[in-house]
Amino acid sequence: MLGRMEGKYDVVVIGGGPAGMGAALGARDSGSERVLILDREPDPGGILLQCIHSGFGLHYFKEELTGPEYAERFLENVIDQEVDLLSNSYVSGISYDSSGSKGVHVMNEKYGLSTVETKSVVLSMGCRERTRGAIRIPGTRPSGIITAGLAQKFVNMKGVLPGKRVAILGSGDIGLIMARRLVLEGCEVVGVFEIMPYSNGLTRNVVQCLEDFEIPLHLSTTVAYIHGKDRVEKITVAPVDEKLKPDMNRAWDIPCDTLLLSIGLIPENELSQSLGIKLDLLTGGPQVNSTLETSMPGVFTCGNVLHVHDLVDFVTRESLLAGQFAGEWAQGVRRPNDNIRLLPGNNVHYCVPHSLSPEREHTIYMRCQKPMKPCRLHIGDLKQKKLRFVVPAEMIMVKVKPELLEKFRGDTLRIDILPAEEKTD
Amino acid sequence: MLEMEQYTCTNCPMGCPLQLTHEGENILEVFDYQCNRGLKYAKQEFSDPRRSLSTTVAISHARWARLPVKVSAPIPKDRVIEAAREIHQLQIESPVKRGQVLMSNFLGEKDIEVVALRSMERIS
Amino acid sequence: MYDVAIIGGGVIGGSIARELSRFQLDTVLLEACAEVGFGTTKTNSGIIHPGHHSSPDTLKGQLVVRGNQLYDSLHQELNFGFRRIGEIVVAQSREDLPILEQLKKQGEEKGVPGLEMWDKARLQREEPNLSHTLLAALYAPSAGVINPYEFVFALLENAIANGVVLKVNSPVTKIEKREKILLLQTPGETLSARFVLNCAGVFSDKISQLVGLEDFTIHPRKGEEYMLDKRLKGLVRRLVFPVPKASTKGTLIIPTFDGTIMVGPTAEDTEDRYDASTTYEGSDRVFQFVNKICPSITERDTITEFAGLRAVSSTNDFIIGPTRVPGFINVAGIQSPGLTSAPAIAEYVRDILIEEGLLLEEKESFNPFVASPPRFAMLGLEKQRELIEKNSLFAKVACRCELVTEAEIHDAIDHGARTLDGIKFRSRAGMGRCQGGFCSIRCMDILAERLNQSFTDLSKRGSNSWIVTEMVNEQHPKMREG
Repeated sequence: MLGRMEGKYDVVVIGGGPAGMGAALGARDSGSERVLILDREPDPGGILLQCIHSGFGLHYFKEELTGPEYAERFLENVIDQEVDLLSNSYVSGISYDSSGSKGVHVMNEKYGLSTVETKSVVLSMGCRERTRGAIRIPGTRPSGIITAGLAQKFVNMKGVLPGKRVAILGSGDIGLIMARRLVLEGCEVVGVFEIMPYSNGLTRNVVQCLEDFEIPLHLSTTVAYIHGKDRVEKITVAPVDEKLKPDMNRAWDIPCDTLLLSIGLIPENELSQSLGIKLDLLTGGPQVNSTLETSMPGVFTCGNVLHVHDLVDFVTRESLLAGQFAGEWAQGVRRPNDNIRLLPGNNVHYCVPHSLSPEREHTIYMRCQKPMKPCRLHIGDLKQKKLRFVVPAEMIMVKVKPELLEKFRGDTLRIDILPAEEKTD
Repeated sequence: MLEMEQYTCTNCPMGCPLQLTHEGENILEVFDYQCNRGLKYAKQEFSDPRRSLSTTVAISHARWARLPVKVSAPIPKDRVIEAAREIHQLQIESPVKRGQVLMSNFLGEKDIEVVALRSMERIS
Repeated sequence: MYDVAIIGGGVIGGSIARELSRFQLDTVLLEACAEVGFGTTKTNSGIIHPGHHSSPDTLKGQLVVRGNQLYDSLHQELNFGFRRIGEIVVAQSREDLPILEQLKKQGEEKGVPGLEMWDKARLQREEPNLSHTLLAALYAPSAGVINPYEFVFALLENAIANGVVLKVNSPVTKIEKREKILLLQTPGETLSARFVLNCAGVFSDKISQLVGLEDFTIHPRKGEEYMLDKRLKGLVRRLVFPVPKASTKGTLIIPTFDGTIMVGPTAEDTEDRYDASTTYEGSDRVFQFVNKICPSITERDTITEFAGLRAVSSTNDFIIGPTRVPGFINVAGIQSPGLTSAPAIAEYVRDILIEEGLLLEEKESFNPFVASPPRFAMLGLEKQRELIEKNSLFAKVACRCELVTEAEIHDAIDHGARTLDGIKFRSRAGMGRCQGGFCSIRCMDILAERLNQSFTDLSKRGSNSWIVTEMVNEQHPKMREG
């Protein structure tokens, strides 16, 4: 029920975005009766509420939806399933006793600072955007340098524009989508600048958000200097060399009043870290076993806080699973420990989960480090899969059947992406 | 006279570059597609390129200043800006239900509507 | 008419204003920016120096030790964050060792307490994360850290509570000498005062020129600083200095009052008095240097960077004193250790005013105390519960990176914040990892509501630093034709 937090819970889900709602539904599916979602925003739905473009739901709802539609339909399911949901609630910590029971400390205007008791927890706090400081763009520090996601909220929810003449650094999907949004709202978008030799966004967005509106995409180019005393006045952009250092001899200036940053997302794991949960430096998210359980027993995780996804449908799939396992855990089910560790190998940036068990089928999610085509994905010596191409912007998924894993005799399974001609050693 | 158009297929992240030759409105051949979806895409882009459109409109007495809306079906690519401009004239009063039709016969196309993407309750 | 007009609301103007508020005087402080502390003060490293670095032959060298001592009582009265965490000057080579000895001697002569020479073993024990190639260190326990902007906010709040008038957005554009008084022109009004104190920082030579004085110039020296992620908290516990060079105390490792580690500053002369730019060169220099002293710090740990200007004068010393123009007193050229010296400068200027004929009578009603702003994140659970029971806005989190509640945003506005930066520097909302990505809109909601303004009226730090602009429907000239 919306706005209710009462008694003890089986599963408490932290975060009310698509991951949190998916986990809550998964927990109910597993048979857990008492499930609570704690969300820090006034409306559940997370970042979906500001993603008004379409492209969501093809896998899960079998139709193409926008972010707000996806969120609201999910919320209806959550309400149907009698999940409790408390908005405007901030989780400041989690305590636990030797019995495994946990206390979630939550701040809420109505309930004050209270502690809610639960058997298991799902962490689904999402991610945040990288900022100027993370890449240390030189120059002055005027107003008008904001992340693409904040600009999206300004435009789509508050009805104000971040500026009138806008440059975009980074070709992440939010940046591309904002380029189109701003043009539709009457702004001039002077260009998108991407330091890598390829776009970090989906092709569809490059075509429909940039090419359709004749917005130039400058690859292997970066913003080398920001000018302006109080407000951005212009930027200096420069092509970069192989070491990604700007070549100032070929730099040029572009007048603009706004610089949008779309330079990557980072899983938001402050809470996880405060609990002492082990993180994976490659994903920025917790290390998880094949039940999506973190290093803290009974604490599960899913969605962008675990690793940054590009499709919400995959967030949903992962979250339903995390919720299932969290629900089982609350009911006392203890799965056998995983005995196969996964190791990212050639051209594999990371893989999630971090270990597998021959007990059941798994889906491994991974990302490559650089584009490659055609290529072959090797799951140790167990399985090979031909891939027409891989790009860092698109997550790779592969299913592994228990029969395969039963055959495996080692303890570490290395995953490689190799050019199609080559063979793994 | 034989002419050539170039497209980037958007069906999947591979983004195949496609070439299409035509004489006037007659498609002659599509090159470089890796799958049938690419072939279909090039033909559609040539004969009737369409795009979906989402934007926002002003809403009063709601938690947020803007209500997200979409056009119910893809519209001709060259009318996207004109369409956004027309939608932006709307002024909505809360409450609104998701799927509520805010404009019908949009752009003079009988089955195309502008609909609300989310519900918003009334807040005084 | 005012008895005293102070030009400049930085740490110097603020310290003097607060000192003068003890007496029965009409004092006005004119600040050019939208809020106080937005100039050099905001970008200061926040170090309270023990005083052994500067020569006793200079005015700055004389005022610094006294300034350091005054911080204890100021801290008790004004409740800004202050902690004596100590500093070490580290020797990287054999050549550095005699300089450490000399610094120790100079410090002892000046009365700097507790100086100790640490050998390599002691240094490694005390600061295990510093490079093991360092040879020795000079330890000074009286070094402290503050958040300089908080200090100015507290000074001004106390000064105002004791009768000082503050006028922001009031750059002085003209000063006229009249018999026994000076007339000051700001965009809004003309004020008159018997005494004018020129505390205008990097602009103090320009202010001085307004009364026809050309006897000094200011040559801004820029310093870039890099703030690191808070997960490095505790990596280094004391301020770490290399042995000093001619123009600067060098690049430092600074555990700030909040515990986050900051590295910098650089020292680069610049002509532009608004130059707050950071550069590739500056960042490379800082991190190359710091990496040698503390190998586990890299540039990838940066969450934000900024730069500030030191108001270095043509004499390379503080310029404090009366001038040929009766009533016009310079408090200029306040470079490092200006922050440390500020309380002593305030006393020094007070005595000059007495010599110049201003009658100072103590005010019985003077209240030296300022309550500290609520710092929800720093409290234990019980205290947090108490606050929430009194005010439920403490249960609403505005900034999640630094755990700042809406009650604290309101408190910042109650205490003078009028811009997003004003809120940030008072409450810490927006100072953390996401750099305002999440909390900006909430802070703007509250600010807009409290000031009865729209989003488009709000600014980052006043003047032309607008944040958002209106959505112009359809008629926008840049709209492409369909």
